[in-house]
Amino acid sequence: MLPFTPEVFFSLFAQYNATIWPMQIVAYVLGLLAVFLTLRPRRDAGRLIAAILSGFWLWIGIVYHIMFFATINFAAPVFGVVFIVQGLLLAWTGVMKGQLEFRFRGDLSGWIGLGFAVFAMAAYPLLGLFAGHVWPRAPIFGVAPCPTTIFTLGLLLLSARRVPLSLLAIPVLWSLVGGSASWLLGVPEDIALPVAGIAGLGMAIWKNRRMPRAEAG
Amino acid sequence: MGNTAPNLTRRALLAALGAHGLILGPGVITGGSRVLAAANPILKRPIPTSGQRIPVIGMGSWITFNVGDDVSLRDQRVKVLQAFFDRGGGLIDSSPMYGSSEEVIGYCLKRITNKNALFSATKVWTLSRWMGVRQMNDSFKLWGVNQFDLMQIHNLLDWETHLETLKEWRAQGRVRYIGITTSHGSRHEELARIMASEPIDFVQFTYNVLDREAERRLLPLAAERGLAVIVNRPFRRGALFGRFEGHPLPAWAGEFDCANWAQFFLKFIVSHPAVTCAIPATSRVDHMQENMGAAYGPLPDAHMRKRMIQYVDSL
Repeated sequence: MLPFTPEVFFSLFAQYNATIWPMQIVAYVLGLLAVFLTLRPRRDAGRLIAAILSGFWLWIGIVYHIMFFATINFAAPVFGVVFIVQGLLLAWTGVMKGQLEFRFRGDLSGWIGLGFAVFAMAAYPLLGLFAGHVWPRAPIFGVAPCPTTIFTLGLLLLSARRVPLSLLAIPVLWSLVGGSASWLLGVPEDIALPVAGIAGLGMAIWKNRRMPRAEAG
Repeated sequence: MGNTAPNLTRRALLAALGAHGLILGPGVITGGSRVLAAANPILKRPIPTSGQRIPVIGMGSWITFNVGDDVSLRDQRVKVLQAFFDRGGGLIDSSPMYGSSEEVIGYCLKRITNKNALFSATKVWTLSRWMGVRQMNDSFKLWGVNQFDLMQIHNLLDWETHLETLKEWRAQGRVRYIGITTSHGSRHEELARIMASEPIDFVQFTYNVLDREAERRLLPLAAERGLAVIVNRPFRRGALFGRFEGHPLPAWAGEFDCANWAQFFLKFIVSHPAVTCAIPATSRVDHMQENMGAAYGPLPDAHMRKRMIQYVDSL
């Protein structure tokens, strides 16, 4: 059982969105840039996409979970630490070591990865609108955990090399935690979260098995 | 799940009620009566270690007062708390585990005038002495009080450490009473060991018309050891309403001034002679009025309590 009601949960989002405005615009610009770079890869694009993803996870861990969500949920500081760890993993693997490369290919995992990214940025807020979660009482891509998790799962499926499972673990874990909470809170757009987590994990394993070691980097 | 307490005979009930100060004079309980009449405007029970009397209905704050910084929701909770005090309420129970509840209670208390009957009760819920002291000091600030009436160790977490701190604080007067809590029927054995061996004033656990496990050991032990009992989850987190609200109240519920299911559930709890106070939680003024109604009028006697159990079991 959650220690707050849906009414309080969305009230918290209203305060959060009002406080951080216009970071939501910045997040969408960065998200569009990341998707564009998977479609038109260029030198050092992998580091830039990893930096964007890392920034999303660090922001959500520190600002959303620890500074805001922790006021109504005793578990939020733990969530915050987990998100910070994911942000640091992305920064270390993708930015510092340059081991991440993203490229859209017209294969199954590519289309699913692109689909997840588009869903997180476009379909997710539309579903929220239909459910009555209108601005500012709504989770927004890039600054809220659930759509950002779906987006991250999508981009990791667009990895040009084998999908690093170490980077997939926390998003998949959150897809299950957040998905169960969405059921209790009545957030229908988040029902896609566990679906994306499980499907993303399955697709990543399938892709890694098919990918020749030579492409494994 | 237990049935009624096997040893709760009419004689034992009379003796216990007398010991708890609920019976105020001769003729309150009559041989043929199904109810016990109360003489006070609001029913109160004494804290055994001091004799101080507190109303039998208090207020919990899990979920209901965790409204964050939303001013409109906070102001609505002010009205709920105002209704609580207007109807004679006293004990408010909270915990650092309940998100912003302590801060919201402090916000409400600043805006309420008739809060002289306040009996402030919160908990410590963390590991280590240092963290516990820090957390309890935060609670003083959040509530806006200089002294807590009751400080409890939440769900037995690191209880050996915190109990030493609380004994010191009780001796210094920073807190008036100390206690320990658990919920949803867990860790009853360990709780019983603490009740039997430690110098605490209060104990808090779950008890309601369906969850009657506490009747077997904890309630008799509390009476034997002279401990005040706070009952949490009196409505099984609202599930009792979902299960029974579609059914009619029995006509005989009127014999103990019971007008709705909330009062039925609460009067069942506080009519147990070992119970000091039940702490239903609500975010609505009308529900608060219903809950507080259970603190007035006669209470069911042992025979009626059996009838209440038989009725809900039959539904």
